[in-house]
Amino acid sequence: MLDGVATQLERYMDLLSARQKLVTSNIANADTPGYQTQDIDFQSEFQSALGGAPHVMEVQGLPFKNDGNNVSLDRESRLLSENALRFSVASNLLRSEIQQVRTAIKEGQGS
Amino acid sequence: MSLFSAISVGASGMAAQRARAELLVENLANAETTRTPDGGPYRRKDAVFESTDISSPFASFFDTQLHGSGVAISDIVTDTSDPERRYMPGHPDADADGYVAFPHINPAEDMVDLMSAARGYEANVAAISAVKDMIQKSIDLLH
Repeated sequence: MLDGVATQLERYMDLLSARQKLVTSNIANADTPGYQTQDIDFQSEFQSALGGAPHVMEVQGLPFKNDGNNVSLDRESRLLSENALRFSVASNLLRSEIQQVRTAIKEGQGS
Repeated sequence: MSLFSAISVGASGMAAQRARAELLVENLANAETTRTPDGGPYRRKDAVFESTDISSPFASFFDTQLHGSGVAISDIVTDTSDPERRYMPGHPDADADGYVAFPHINPAEDMVDLMSAARGYEANVAAISAVKDMIQKSIDLLH
């Protein structure tokens, strides 16, 4: 609707919310036996030209607990706040884009 | 993929941890219980968690690609180990040899599990409020 930057921002926010959802389910399953931490490869998903649903994968290299669960609450809480902050930055940028368009419309009405 | 379903996932985590905490509190309360409706001493209970798809008919219509999995209690297991026998001849539930069967419960173990359940609950609350902030930011784009 607006321009290239706004489209990119929209995709960025979409990916962030997808990732946030995975982080939430990792936290919810922090005590589920056999559950493996899930995530998306953010960089490659963002760079891939195709939109659509991101590819979910299991995170490698995390230590397993005795019940076969490898959720690290430290990792998830870091990602939780990181995603929320990134989302906040993106939404502020998008808002200023929209504000510019709105200003243009209003100035047009004034004359 | 909607952020609203992330809230449901967090809520399922809260519900599961709360149910687990209830069982642990029940264990602690009954650590010395020698009579139950089934006969014999109280037996320790524990919850088994299982990851499940959070399905709401409304969300699943729009949201087919990315399944955030929530958590649910799949089973409640009852401890089958032998009760602890203490020599208390004066006790009304003592057997012919003067031994009373007490539940096989270690209060310290249950206390630690209870703390872990409380922390898990807090983590889910934090997740929900982070997601809620993101939704609020999106709504603010309209202003």
